[in-house]
Amino acid sequence: MHGIAYDPIHDEFSVPQQFGQAILTYRGAANGEEAPIRVIQGPHTQLDAPEHLDVDPVHNEIFMPTRDGSILVFPREGRGDVAPIRVLKGPDTMLRGDAPLAVDPVNNLLIVGGGIGGGQVRLLIFNRTDSGNVKPKAVIGGPKSKLYSFGGPFAVYPQKGEIIVSVRGPGPYAEMSSEEAYVGVWNIKDNGDVPPHWTIGGPHGILRMPRGIALDVKNRNMLVSDKRLNAVLTFHFPEIF
Amino acid sequence: MRRLLLQQRLIAKGRLAIPLALCLAAWLGQTGDFRRDPRLVSLDALPDDSAECDPPLAPASGLLLVAGELPLRNLLLQERLFQNRAAAALAVAANDASQRKPERMIRDPYAAYSAVAVDAAHDEVVLTDENLFNIWIYDRGAKQPPNEKSELKRLIGGLNTKIEFQCGLYIDPANGDIYAVNNDTIDTLVVFSRQAIGDVAPDRELHTPHGTFGITVDEDKQELFLTVQHDNAIVVYNKAAKGTEAPIRVVQGDDTGLADPHAMVLDTKRNLLYVTNHGSSHQVREKGNRRKAGSPGFPLDRDDAVPGTGKIGPPSITVYSKGATGNARPLRTIQGPQTQMNWPTGIAIDEDRNELYIANDGGNSVLVFDASAQGDVAPIRVIKGPASLVSNPTGVFLDKKNNELWVANFGNHTSAVYRPDANGDVAPLRVIRSAPAGQPVPGLGNPHPLAYDSKREQILVPN
Repeated sequence: MHGIAYDPIHDEFSVPQQFGQAILTYRGAANGEEAPIRVIQGPHTQLDAPEHLDVDPVHNEIFMPTRDGSILVFPREGRGDVAPIRVLKGPDTMLRGDAPLAVDPVNNLLIVGGGIGGGQVRLLIFNRTDSGNVKPKAVIGGPKSKLYSFGGPFAVYPQKGEIIVSVRGPGPYAEMSSEEAYVGVWNIKDNGDVPPHWTIGGPHGILRMPRGIALDVKNRNMLVSDKRLNAVLTFHFPEIF
Repeated sequence: MRRLLLQQRLIAKGRLAIPLALCLAAWLGQTGDFRRDPRLVSLDALPDDSAECDPPLAPASGLLLVAGELPLRNLLLQERLFQNRAAAALAVAANDASQRKPERMIRDPYAAYSAVAVDAAHDEVVLTDENLFNIWIYDRGAKQPPNEKSELKRLIGGLNTKIEFQCGLYIDPANGDIYAVNNDTIDTLVVFSRQAIGDVAPDRELHTPHGTFGITVDEDKQELFLTVQHDNAIVVYNKAAKGTEAPIRVVQGDDTGLADPHAMVLDTKRNLLYVTNHGSSHQVREKGNRRKAGSPGFPLDRDDAVPGTGKIGPPSITVYSKGATGNARPLRTIQGPQTQMNWPTGIAIDEDRNELYIANDGGNSVLVFDASAQGDVAPIRVIKGPASLVSNPTGVFLDKKNNELWVANFGNHTSAVYRPDANGDVAPLRVIRSAPAGQPVPGLGNPHPLAYDSKREQILVPN
């Protein structure tokens, strides 16, 4: 499972279920073997191997990438065999395969990760409501960006337009661990080969294989999981809030 | 999702330590030892967030090491002192927080055993560890004080070993070679000789499909079987396969009943293959000519998934002929509410008694079935309860030579030994512990995404 999204407005969280090709939504206080309150699953969904997702609690939508390089958008309250209400797909989108994504409901943006091969990835920024074969309005990536490979799902902080990304590093053990790994911060106004505005936890820091990012805004903390450390780390990071 | 942990936030004290220490450093223009400063005493209340250092800060690694040890009240005083000077002092700051230390880290310092096997020829027990990424070898019969850590005989671990989230384990009965399956993160089966110790490269590596979990070997035919969770498949290799050698056959298809398959065991007397399944599945169909050149003979994978065909079904044990291939239908299926199965993971067989032992992860139990069972049948024995120490068991091994049943408990830092006919809430005969009894178990296993529940101040961590 490569995605989870907590919806603070409706107090629920959603996860993809890859093997069963489903989106499961639970009440926020779920505990133990509790059934989901909603399940999106079935032939009309177009779900193939759902791994990542994000939820827009303001506009009541769930964003889900697919293996074939499209973004499916479902109604948050969809149940059962529902078709996506929008699909972002096509060569102009530059979308390739399943990738982490994050929706910014304040600035009405959708940020999607994408691979371009050669040890480089990029951040694609779309309008939140884009549909069909649409070019991204901005692309962040390139050698100066140090976007080697996405570690996992990233986060956005709409109030300051920040995109917080875990970046896997290169090296002889890159599959498992790299001292070059770090968490970087970009901005929704960035475009092109832009270096991160902030790096934390690395390079040559504590992180080895950072993955998911979450934000604790109230306490100005950034949370990051690390595969090699098999741990969840909390960094106080007031500068980005 | 293996587990969804709702981690209570352990916040309160110290949450301002790092930024405030940074503020102080900027104000003083130094990175001195604050612990020796007698002025750092205050009983002030927490300030509001606006009092923190909002401008970008320059980290100072030496200071950061100290910051976490400073009492919060001292830091609050320094924040007061800092307020009027911070902005100017930090105007020249950089954006590098690469050396910043985390305020907290949820991490288990002890091994979490995931699979167990006995090397009967050398009287050793081998355990894989999904937390610290080691293979631990102990004397099989070693007796330890009941609540203390066990004494280690050998350890294999480190980046050169390519050991990570290991799940399946097989010991070659002839020479003690250790076959260990990396699940999900490294698509490699690693094989170590009995002499391997420390951070050594595997003696042999085999490139495998993504998401292998269980392993078993047909010693008569010298064939090695691996389950593939992600693809609902079984791949069969020559036992000596290495590198990018292709499987010699694949079991995969709509009729197989494979649904998130985990462990396997062979009944060599009856030529049967038993597979535990967690229950989720989808159809696959080859999409054009996109097969990976470096992966000949691999099963169809997630890129071949047929959209919208997914099912989340009940767990099962599916039974096949040992030589099954292709879209083979199971000969029998054990499945249903009476089975008590809940994430059935590890599996072992007593061919003489015709009994199956299941490590029932989600049910915190070991289930024993008549191996001839079919359909919705109850187990003939269940090991479960606080005295048994069975807790999220993921591995099980039957040591026929010594007539012992071993269980790897992911949930409590133990591997426990029972008589094979144990039933109910029975205490184990012996226990190997990676940690003193009672140590907390975060239960992290391959954490990837995170979410923060701002209402409850909890971290949600799928594993």
